[in-house]
Amino acid sequence: MEMHSQAFLENAREALGDPEKTRRRGLLAAFTPMVRNAAMESFGKFEPLRQHLRRVRQHTLDNLDHYLDRFEQEALSNGNHVHFAMDGEEMNRIVLEICQRHSARRIAKGKSMVTEETGLSRHLQGAGLNVTETDLGEYIIQQAGEPPSHIVGPALHKSAAEVRDLFLARHDLGERELEETSQLVQEARGVLRQRFLEADVGIIGANALVAENGYSMLVTNEGNGDLCANLPPVLIVCTTLERILPRAEDATAMMRLLVRSATGQPHTCYTSFYSGPRREQDTDGPIETHFVLLDDKRTDILASDYREMLQCIRCGACLNHCPIYAAAGGHAYGAVYMGPMGSVLTPLLTSLEESHLLPNACTSCGRCAEVCPSGIPLPDLLRDLRQAEQAAKLSPPRWRTGLKLHAWLARHPRLYHGLTALGIPLLHRLGRRRGSFSKLPLAGGWTSQRDFPAPQRKTFMQAYAGVLKAEKKRRRHD
Amino acid sequence: MTKSARSRIFAKIRHSSRGATAATIREELDSFGKAPAADLPTPDTATAFLANVLKNQGTVDCAANRTDAVRAVGQYLYQHYRTHRLVAGNDSRLAAMPWRDAGVLPRFGTAEGNEPAALSYARLGVAETGAVVTFTGKANPAANNLLAEHHIVLVNCEDLVGDMEEAWLRIRHEVDRDGRPRGINFIAGPSSTADIEGQLVYGAHGPRGWHVILLGYMPASALEDARALAAG
Repeated sequence: MEMHSQAFLENAREALGDPEKTRRRGLLAAFTPMVRNAAMESFGKFEPLRQHLRRVRQHTLDNLDHYLDRFEQEALSNGNHVHFAMDGEEMNRIVLEICQRHSARRIAKGKSMVTEETGLSRHLQGAGLNVTETDLGEYIIQQAGEPPSHIVGPALHKSAAEVRDLFLARHDLGERELEETSQLVQEARGVLRQRFLEADVGIIGANALVAENGYSMLVTNEGNGDLCANLPPVLIVCTTLERILPRAEDATAMMRLLVRSATGQPHTCYTSFYSGPRREQDTDGPIETHFVLLDDKRTDILASDYREMLQCIRCGACLNHCPIYAAAGGHAYGAVYMGPMGSVLTPLLTSLEESHLLPNACTSCGRCAEVCPSGIPLPDLLRDLRQAEQAAKLSPPRWRTGLKLHAWLARHPRLYHGLTALGIPLLHRLGRRRGSFSKLPLAGGWTSQRDFPAPQRKTFMQAYAGVLKAEKKRRRHD
Repeated sequence: MTKSARSRIFAKIRHSSRGATAATIREELDSFGKAPAADLPTPDTATAFLANVLKNQGTVDCAANRTDAVRAVGQYLYQHYRTHRLVAGNDSRLAAMPWRDAGVLPRFGTAEGNEPAALSYARLGVAETGAVVTFTGKANPAANNLLAEHHIVLVNCEDLVGDMEEAWLRIRHEVDRDGRPRGINFIAGPSSTADIEGQLVYGAHGPRGWHVILLGYMPASALEDARALAAG
């Protein structure tokens, strides 16, 4: 997709200017962590399972050549065609060639972030193919001509009223009631059912690739991915190398955390494993199946200090727990991946020059790392990217000078303590009456949204020294 | 073009790989042990399975024998459609059911676009997740899981397993005997979506009703206990 990460600050400002959307984002930011936390609490084994999966995935990445080779062998012996693509363009070209070889006109597509990354649908449409996104959220934003705002719920930024207007405008179905959400779903079901039945090619993504048997795992609630995988005569699975796991039980163990993290369910309605084309005895299923395995910088990331990012399972929990994502919304990031995982991944997939603002979209609160089912140290990776930004002189000179000054000061503790010992009591005296400041010099942006609390009389170090002194005195008395 | 991508990708991966032998890799993987699974809500597998099916917004019935099972199917169909129309896969176990006892006459084959109800005979039921497992094939075409308005699934008590790891043990056993099926489907609920304002709606693309009939010997209070567990 087109990148607009350079405009993050303007995008975020604009997003915050819409009170209705801000209110709805606030609701989601309260609701989504709640369901996730309830699910993890009743599961009760989040940490041990997260550790187990980290070991398995680390092991898989450490031996990726072994497992990728095994997967390819098994997938081929299951009757698949296996393709490799260095970049998005190559993946798009391979998929288009397959479609054209079958003279395909209609494509039914399941939800896949990888194909969002490569802009596959646009590429196929540009060649005259009729592509229907069949995940309800993806279908809504396809009709609206918008990018996804969330990696799990791509249309959650839209109100039911907006979806109703969209359907009334896009579906030529005459006068009808569309007041209830269930009526909207029902209408989409009717429209899309036909598309499934007519499709010449189905395209899906994969939540995991199983090296031991060559199956791909697909996790959905709607069942749209399964319809794409089973009804059309040709199936193309588009995914990336790092989806590989050694064994089938590793995939379902991962699913335990994936689904709870994403939607708070213990299990999605459909967890499906597909091996290849229909067998001799089968009465349905695709006749020809393809895997297109995309690199798109994954091998670079594998060799870099950001390797842990390849453990991401795209659950969206870090988005749901991120105060910046909640405030600015997914579109502000101007990228396919948003929130904390997106702010790490986007600069790695594009370039730091294009997306250096994103790693700054972080308050270092650490909630993302706390809930990440893969245990990815997202705040650390974001900090490393900011450091790289600083080193590459991409941040504004004012920030760099300020940071340099701060770093210098922090390395001179006496001066630092002396200055804060002067400043803090001054702020305390000035803010004593109200207990907070509504305006502060050099911090106008901060105080425009909230008050700055007046500090205590002493700095922490002063108070700490006082405690130590009192303790010493007490010991002497004992 | 693709071939060169393949060799380039492998070369790059090998560069950052540990280069361990297959035996060492296997050994390390085995050393991680079994992944922690969710605890069952009650020690009895049948009760736990039924409770989780209910939590997944499925409906359930229990049948002591095959005659009871076909009656349960007939009753479900009549309740929802006032009809006894049904499509079922060419599963020898389904063909051998005493359908006449319930006045149901299934059409054995593949579901079409607008079928009211489809019947599957599950290979397994997983208590941990309340999921049923089907294999695609003549005995259960994939369309039968997906296209009907209601999906009815029979599961034998002896085909229940505790968790996903046990499920894979059983699946491997069947695959070793009969070869790899094209698709292995874990189904845990009617098709649903929360893509509009996070509101949960059933019947997104697949069945809007999912009815599981557990067949065989189980504690007399299994269904009652399961309902209490699901409600609590």
